Amino acid sequence: MALRVAAELRRGQVVNLGIGLPTLVANYTPPDAGVIFHSENGILGYGPHAAEGEEDLDLINARGEHVTLPPGGAVVSHTDAFAMVRSGRLDVAVLGALQVSEKGDLANWMTPEKGIGSPGGALDMAAGAKRLIVITEHTNGGAPKVLKECSYPLTAAGRVDLIVTDLAVMEVTGDGLLLKEVAPGWSVESVRGLTGAPLRVSDGLKEMDFTLPQHPPVNKVYPSAAEAVADVPDGAVMLMDGFGGLGGMPHYLMLALRDQGAKGLTVVSNTVGIARVSGFGTPPSPDLQAVDHSILVERGQIRKAIATFPVSPSPSRPSAFERAYRRGEVELEVVSQGTLAERLRAGGSGVAAFYTPTGVGTVVAEGKEVREFNGRQHLLEEAIRGDFAFVRAHKADTLGNLVYRGTSRNFNLVMAAAAAVTIAEVDEIVEPGVLDPEAIVTPGIHVRRVVQRPAVFSPFQPIKPIEDNGRG
Amino acid sequence: MAQGKIYPSAASAVADVPDGAVVMLGGFGTPGLPQGLIKGLLSQGARGLTCISNTCFEPRADEYNVARLVENGQVSKLITTFIGRPAQEVPALDLWRAGVLQVEVMPQGILAERMRAAAAGLGGVFVPNVYGHPLDAGLEKRTLNGVEHVLAPPLRADFALIGAHRGDHLGNLTYRLTQRNYNPAMAAAAAVTVAEVREVVAAGGIDPERVVTPGVYVDRLVLEEPS
Repeated sequence: MALRVAAELRRGQVVNLGIGLPTLVANYTPPDAGVIFHSENGILGYGPHAAEGEEDLDLINARGEHVTLPPGGAVVSHTDAFAMVRSGRLDVAVLGALQVSEKGDLANWMTPEKGIGSPGGALDMAAGAKRLIVITEHTNGGAPKVLKECSYPLTAAGRVDLIVTDLAVMEVTGDGLLLKEVAPGWSVESVRGLTGAPLRVSDGLKEMDFTLPQHPPVNKVYPSAAEAVADVPDGAVMLMDGFGGLGGMPHYLMLALRDQGAKGLTVVSNTVGIARVSGFGTPPSPDLQAVDHSILVERGQIRKAIATFPVSPSPSRPSAFERAYRRGEVELEVVSQGTLAERLRAGGSGVAAFYTPTGVGTVVAEGKEVREFNGRQHLLEEAIRGDFAFVRAHKADTLGNLVYRGTSRNFNLVMAAAAAVTIAEVDEIVEPGVLDPEAIVTPGIHVRRVVQRPAVFSPFQPIKPIEDNGRG
Repeated sequence: MAQGKIYPSAASAVADVPDGAVVMLGGFGTPGLPQGLIKGLLSQGARGLTCISNTCFEPRADEYNVARLVENGQVSKLITTFIGRPAQEVPALDLWRAGVLQVEVMPQGILAERMRAAAAGLGGVFVPNVYGHPLDAGLEKRTLNGVEHVLAPPLRADFALIGAHRGDHLGNLTYRLTQRNYNPAMAAAAAVTVAEVREVVAAGGIDPERVVTPGVYVDRLVLEEPS
C-alpha cells in the first residue's frame, strides 16, 4: 500500500504523511525522487526511518519515529509547519482512516465510544492539502471501511481524492467511487463484496501498478535576473523590499524588472524608494545613484504602493514616488510597519485577517472594523499576498533554501512566504546539504526561482540625478 | 540563588509556579520536552493547573511529561491536540469522564496559531475552519474570501516550560532539529518562560543569525540535569 502511494508522488511536491500506515510511504520513496516530506513538528525534506543504532534522538517524525534528514532538508517551528499547510504549500496529504466515504468524507480522529478524540494535525492537513490520499486496510476484520457514509465524526468532508487499500485503488469522483486498480489476485467482484459503497469500474482498470514515476529534475536556478522576471505581467502585485537601504534589497531583480517594462504594478514595500534621497547608501561617485524602487517609479511602471515609509526623510529631496504622487500618477495605501509585516505574515500563513491594537484612532483605522478584546480596542487588518516576491538573501541551495546575512532578513522573510512566485537574489548558490538545516530561514518550498547576483555588480548605477524641487 | 537568568536547578526555576497557573509544556514527543522542569513541578506540587501540551498519552515511568502531572492530580484542565490514539484509552480520559479533569482538544495547527497570536500581541486571527463537529461550537465564524473561517483567540500562559539545546546568559536559545516544535511559540506567549538547555554559553557564544528564540522572551535558564 505504501509503495502504491509512493507511486502517486511527484518530484518537488510537498507531502505530509499522517501517523500509522502513511509514515511507511517515506520508506518506499527513493531519496532521489525529489519528494519533500513535511512533518507537523517542523521538518521539511526528511528521509526514510533511521537505521538501528543510527537514530538521532532529536529527529523524529509526527509519529515519534526516528527518521533521517538527507541533504537539502530544513527545520522549522510547529507554527511555521502549519502556516505552510494553511497557505497552500502542501501538495499532498496522505492520511489513514477509520472510515472513508464515497463522497470523499474521512473519519480518523475519534470513535464515538471514546467520547473525545485526538484531532492532532489530521484536520489541518485534510483541510489544507491540495490533494488528499487515504491509505487504509480495505476492511477492519472483514467490516468494510470504505462506505456510503461515515458514521464516525468527520476529519474532513468531501476532501478525499484517492483511496489506496490493500485490495484496490479508488478515485473519488462527483459520481461516487471509480475503481481504477485491483491488487494482484483480486477480482472486481471480490473487491465489491468487501466495499460498503457502489463501485464504478474504470475503462482503464488494471492490476495495481507499483511503478515509481520518473520525472525530470526541477530546476530553480535561473541564469539571469532577466530570465527570472520575464513573465511578470502588467498589473502584478509585487512584494519587494529591502528596508529602505542597500542591505537586503534585490537590486539585480529590480533592474531587470525595469528593463522588462511591466506596467501598472502594485508594489508592497516598507519604502517605495528612499535609499537614493536619504542617508541609506551614499554613492561612491556623483554620477552614480543607489538603486531603489525609484527606478520603477520613474519608468511609470508603478500604479499603486502599499508602504509604511513612502516619503523621503528630507523635505528638500523628495523621492520619485512622492513627486509622482503629487502629480496624481500613483495611488498610496499607508500602513504602519508592524502591521505591514503582520499582514504579509498572515498572507504567507493562511490567516485571512487578524485583530491588532496598532493604529486605533489614527488615519490607518479609517474604514476598518474596530473591536474590543480584554478592554483594548483592536483593528481588523487583512492579509496581503503577492503575485511575485523579489527577495534578497545571502545564500541559496539549488532547492531554494535560503539564509540571510545581518539585517538583510527584514521583510524578505515574510514576503518569501506570501507570494505565488518567489524569486530570490543571492550572493552564492550552493548544492543541497551545504546549508545547515537548522540555519535555513526560508525553506525552499517557498522559493520558485533563484538567481545569483553577478560577481561584479554595483547597487549604485548611473541613473538620472535627483530632481531638486527648488526648495533645497 | 539565580545569577541573572541562570537558575541553579530546575526546582528553583519552577518554585514560584502558583496553584491555578496556566502552564505551557513544550515538546513534541521527547525532543524539546523540558523533563527536568516537569520533574521539578511534580515535586513542587502546585495544583489546579491548566496545562497546555500537544500530547497526553499514558504516563511513562521513564519520561516526565504532562501525563505525569495529570496522574499526580495537579492538573484541573488540559488543553491538547492528542489524548491517545483514536481507539486507545489513557488515564486522563477516566478523569475527564469522572468530571475531575476538564479537557479541551483542538487541531494542532489551531493550537500553534493561537499561541503565535498571543506571541504577536493580536486580539485574534481568522483561520480557515478545519474543525470537525463538534469542536468548533462556540467559535465565531465568518466567511472571508468565500471560505468559512473561525476566529482563533490568542492563547497565553503564566509560565512556559520549554526544552532547548543551547542558551546564552541573555537567554538567547537554539534548538537541535525537531526540538524546536512548539517551543519558540510558547516562549513568546507566556509571561514567564523557563528554558531547560543542554549547554549554557556566555553572551556571544551563539551566532546571532542562528538564534531562534531571542533572549527577550526567556526569563530563566536551567541546565538540563543528567537523568
